[in-house]
Amino acid sequence: MTSRSVIACLVVAVVASALGVVYSSHVVRELYSRQQQVEYGQWQLQEDYSRLLLEQSTLASPHRVISIAQEDLAMSAPALSMERVLHGFGGALR
Amino acid sequence: MSGGRAKVTSPTLWRLAVVALCLLILFGMLISRLVILQVVDQDRGARFLQQQGAMRTIRTSEIPAYRGLVTDRRGQPLAVSTPVVSIWANPQLLTDPAEIERLAPVLGASASALSERIKLYADKQFMYLARHQTPEQARAILDLGLSGVHGEREYRRFYPAGEVASQLVGLTNVDGEGISGIELAYNDWLRGQTGKKRYLKDLHGDAIRNIGVIEQAQSGKPLALSIDLRLQYLQHRVLQRAMVETGANAGAAVTLDARTGEILAMTNHPVFNPNSRNGFDYAATRNRVVTDVFEPGSTMKPLTLVAALETGAFTIDTLIDTSPGRIQVGRKVLPDPRNYGEITVSRVIEKSSQVGVTKIAQQIGHEPILDVFQRFGLGEPSSIGFPGERSGSLPSRDRWSDIEKVTLAFGYGLTATPLQIAHAYTVFANQGRQVPLTLIKRSDTQTVEFRQVVSPQIAQQVLAVLNRVTGTEGTAQKARVDGFSVGGKTGTVHKVGKSGYLDDQYVALFVGVAPIENPRFVTAIIVDQPKGDNYGGGAAAAPIYSAITDGVLRLHNALPLTEEAGTQLVGLGGGA
Repeated sequence: MTSRSVIACLVVAVVASALGVVYSSHVVRELYSRQQQVEYGQWQLQEDYSRLLLEQSTLASPHRVISIAQEDLAMSAPALSMERVLHGFGGALR
Repeated sequence: MSGGRAKVTSPTLWRLAVVALCLLILFGMLISRLVILQVVDQDRGARFLQQQGAMRTIRTSEIPAYRGLVTDRRGQPLAVSTPVVSIWANPQLLTDPAEIERLAPVLGASASALSERIKLYADKQFMYLARHQTPEQARAILDLGLSGVHGEREYRRFYPAGEVASQLVGLTNVDGEGISGIELAYNDWLRGQTGKKRYLKDLHGDAIRNIGVIEQAQSGKPLALSIDLRLQYLQHRVLQRAMVETGANAGAAVTLDARTGEILAMTNHPVFNPNSRNGFDYAATRNRVVTDVFEPGSTMKPLTLVAALETGAFTIDTLIDTSPGRIQVGRKVLPDPRNYGEITVSRVIEKSSQVGVTKIAQQIGHEPILDVFQRFGLGEPSSIGFPGERSGSLPSRDRWSDIEKVTLAFGYGLTATPLQIAHAYTVFANQGRQVPLTLIKRSDTQTVEFRQVVSPQIAQQVLAVLNRVTGTEGTAQKARVDGFSVGGKTGTVHKVGKSGYLDDQYVALFVGVAPIENPRFVTAIIVDQPKGDNYGGGAAAAPIYSAITDGVLRLHNALPLTEEAGTQLVGLGGGA
């Protein structure tokens, strides 16, 4: 009688653990595919980030800024005679 | 069939039993074989089979690590990794001529050339078809759906500053390892850790299931340099223009912050484009500021002055008789451009008088001069650890001839890099202190360690003399900067050829400190072989210094000299 109930218990346990294995491998697969998606997203964001970084530094490159300032906007560095020092604003070296 | 059971007689039962037994034995053998194959670990047993299976289906692939960003001190990118895709193929699967025909135009090759290339790898399972394709290009290739053609994620390095900082930032190879410059020096910091993942592949080599990540990829760490890209660009532009004007072979410039030891800009000529390896000139990849040594020549005279002042026998106002404008040492006669007569020590430096310096050197001897050179860091490598950096050399002789003792005072007989020369001058700009150099941005809270190389009084006196060198009587009037007072020293050195010093080839140098009232920035300029009549340090190198320092002081909001600024207020009103 007791041995029978032990066997029954074991059978139930085996079935339960088998289902558990099925379930957990399902969860693993699901999580893995989500991780893959997230990784792909990360990859694409990185792609965007470095592209934007390059774009920004191209647009803001001193070379471009100077040529726009000098040619398009007709700007020039002020001669010393045009400079005026405002005191009390900090930032100056002395 | 209802009577079937009754008909079963003992002989039939017996035969049935035999058949059943046979089947059972066969079944038992099958089971035991299965157990041997699946469970028992013996020769060619379970583990062997598992291994064989895994070898055929399970693959490990690398997860590329993101290489750290290199930026300047203000966060402007100098080296950026961008994701790219490398296309590879299994040459044993990619054999169909029709497929190769379709693939060739996308790769920009002819079909025959491509099939030739594939044949080279015919006994391999892996070959690169095209590396570092942009994601769009790669998609175009992979979308053809050819057998055995795959994409692999990688990173490629881009250098937004291009040639402006090319020698400094350096390069990586196609596998993303640093091979020169900062990329090499800080490779371990920038590199990150490649990850590993395991996956299951099918017959065609396509991944059908990922088994898992064994090791996560770890991104490399970002690196902020002490370089200011605005200054770097300015220096680059000024230097390139000057190279055209002087017709020089090569040139280099470096600007230091004397208080923190930070290298603010470091440029070279010739330059190369780090984003393209076509027409690559290896000579242009050298960072001459640290890899090339020169005889520093007259730029060492202020150090000789330090040695003289330290003996106590001289002040900057001690009179020295330089007439008749030449002096004989051993068998050699050292001339001045003209007879300066009796002049002060200060004027000796201002005029760069050979006779005056010779007399000082003869009086104090060579040991104190050599000692000062040593204390100022000459002959030893700086602390920046730049690949290929040279340390120059100081002479070590058992017996010194008279002429050798004297020429040491002129800066001949020793060699130094432009960086070392600039570093030596930081002593004058920092109250006699020398701070170790760095290419990495220092944080504001970091305490700066330093060596007290000379007394603040002597540093101050030398600084005053350096200022007069750019004055009306000095050799470096072209080094002056509008609105600021600067100081420095020129140098013109004969180049060394196969048979000693060359009469017609020079290296022009200038090292300067600015601004004099509140010294902080040291810039050294080297112009290698300027052509024409303007070959001297005062003519070829000093104007470059002036243009660079003008930018340095503007960028750092330095205040122009007050009385001059005061007079200009009127001008502004009138002009507007």
